[in-house]
Amino acid sequence: MHDAPQPEPDPVVEAYKKDIDRTLIRENLKLTVEERFRKAMALARFAKELQRAGRAARSQRP
Amino acid sequence: MTDFDELLATLAERQVAFILVGGAAAIAHGSARLTQDLDIVYQRNPTNVGRLVEALAPHKPYLRGAPPGLPFVWTSATLARGLNFTLTTSLGDIDLLGEIPGGGAYEDLLPGAIQLKVFQTHCLCLSLPQLIRAKRAAGRPKDLEALAELEAIEEEGS
Repeated sequence: MHDAPQPEPDPVVEAYKKDIDRTLIRENLKLTVEERFRKAMALARFAKELQRAGRAARSQRP
Repeated sequence: MTDFDELLATLAERQVAFILVGGAAAIAHGSARLTQDLDIVYQRNPTNVGRLVEALAPHKPYLRGAPPGLPFVWTSATLARGLNFTLTTSLGDIDLLGEIPGGGAYEDLLPGAIQLKVFQTHCLCLSLPQLIRAKRAAGRPKDLEALAELEAIEEEGS
């Protein structure tokens, strides 16, 4: 059975690809799947805390 | 924040047949993008729908973004009437999808899916080529950006 032919590269996707930080991908590829999920959850917690801190700071502005 | 570990354990405990898709599947493959919810394609037969209802019932599922007080009841009949549900639960946000563009339903995705062992449970996840096809089919601006990263992951891994 033959593999389906690869679609032509999408110029929009190729444009986005130039801005991808591949160092982050390479670091993630060194981790196990579970470690990738734990890292993502830790980042989400951090993002939530930053959002909370931002809201608190804005509410204290005169 | 969504507890991926608790949600996956909850579904596995009740033996719900599902495949991880979307941002969480992308994380499994090495994505560095943050995702707020767990997206799954679930098998739509009565047994599995019943298991899904039982699994999530203790975690108070409700339609995400909907005003409080709607007569939304979490039953098999409710799930059978619809296809895709975007829910909020006490464990975080979860999207239950009957099918996805570029991939189809659970049975269509199953042959290409890969098995993950994560948080002491086994679950199925879209393969990287499947995930790329699904993102390509979705075609929203945010999907194109995610697609670029998935293709980069594929290039890095090859």
